[in-house]
Amino acid sequence: MSGPIPTLYRTELLSRRRLAENAFEITLARPAGFGFRAGQWITLQFGDTGRDYSLVTAPREPNLALCVRHVEGGTYSSELAVLEPGAPLSFTGPHGYLVFRKSPLKPVFVATGTGIAPFVSMARDGVNGFILLHGVSTGAELFYREELQAAAEAYIPCLSGGRESAVSGAYSGLVTTFLETGLPEGAYAFYLSGRGEMIRDVTRLVDDRFPGSRIHSETFY
Amino acid sequence: MGIFTRTGDRGRTSLFSGERVTKSHPGVEACGELDELNSHIGVVIGLLPADAADLGVELKAIQSDLFQAGAWLSTSSPSASGGLLKEMDNGRIGVIERAIDRMERQLPPLRSFILPGGHLSGAVAHVARAVCRRAERRVVSLRDAGGPDSVDQLEIIMVFLNRLSDYLFVLSRYVNQVNGVADNPWNK
Repeated sequence: MSGPIPTLYRTELLSRRRLAENAFEITLARPAGFGFRAGQWITLQFGDTGRDYSLVTAPREPNLALCVRHVEGGTYSSELAVLEPGAPLSFTGPHGYLVFRKSPLKPVFVATGTGIAPFVSMARDGVNGFILLHGVSTGAELFYREELQAAAEAYIPCLSGGRESAVSGAYSGLVTTFLETGLPEGAYAFYLSGRGEMIRDVTRLVDDRFPGSRIHSETFY
Repeated sequence: MGIFTRTGDRGRTSLFSGERVTKSHPGVEACGELDELNSHIGVVIGLLPADAADLGVELKAIQSDLFQAGAWLSTSSPSASGGLLKEMDNGRIGVIERAIDRMERQLPPLRSFILPGGHLSGAVAHVARAVCRRAERRVVSLRDAGGPDSVDQLEIIMVFLNRLSDYLFVLSRYVNQVNGVADNPWNK
């Protein structure tokens, strides 16, 4: 007795481009019949094991692009980092609930690292007017900066790597510290994407400082 | 996917639609009852004989329905669901009604109240039935408390749970019979 087997989509690698020292983007051919909502993710299959990656393309785009954090010594991201165009891949999905929901509340997107991916997909899908905090160590990790800046009402890079990592217009500190001091009190629709610690800390902050807010979140490991 | 997020350590949690609420919120209470019901159904599935695969598939579909129902109960309005939730409709209720008829045709007519029990699978199905009734009461309480706005879904969930408790009653008798255990009538 087993539940329904998720559809396994077969695809191939079309291209790869480096986003930063520790991240790259891969583009896959879009299999027939595969649809998704901006903000969702897929599970790439490596034999019996699956690894989750967020889509950065908008649903209407002809191909699928994934944002991959290159984990040093990591089996799967290392494999993807050297895979040749044309290599076959398979995946299941779409998964996840971090999709944009219409609301009278001002949207505040908070991401750490490659957790920015769902918000790139949303921006490419036409979502705009949001406040975006992107927490990274150095300015080199501010992937997709220009296009996010264009869609956001306020784009606030939060750099935690110290003074040597500073870039023009960036906040020096954690996203949580910015929220404590830089975001006016009120009710917002928070969308959180990134490390579990960030999601825990921001959730506590929202409970204490932004009553009446909503939280939608996706944890990246 | 990690199991613990620590975002609920202080007695609050997020509804599916994103609102932060206390864990004693009626929607959270109702979801908890569905979770308990779903877990008991899981035990029944685990106790089914190997040749009852079809029944297992049927029960797993019901478990999926309960997940869907839980998500609706923790969604303040249809628009806040982000279009991610499948609308529940009368189709699944019809499936359960036909399953009740199918099992009843294979059972002796009921002439008195019966005591919960029998084979372990039947006994657990009775527990699931009682929890299902409690879940239904919690959903009614949620409706009476004025929320959520998904009134159509709430009403379908109420009918679904009402019918599901009947299904679980018949299921308990059916799995008892499959396992060679007769009904245990209530002798007043």
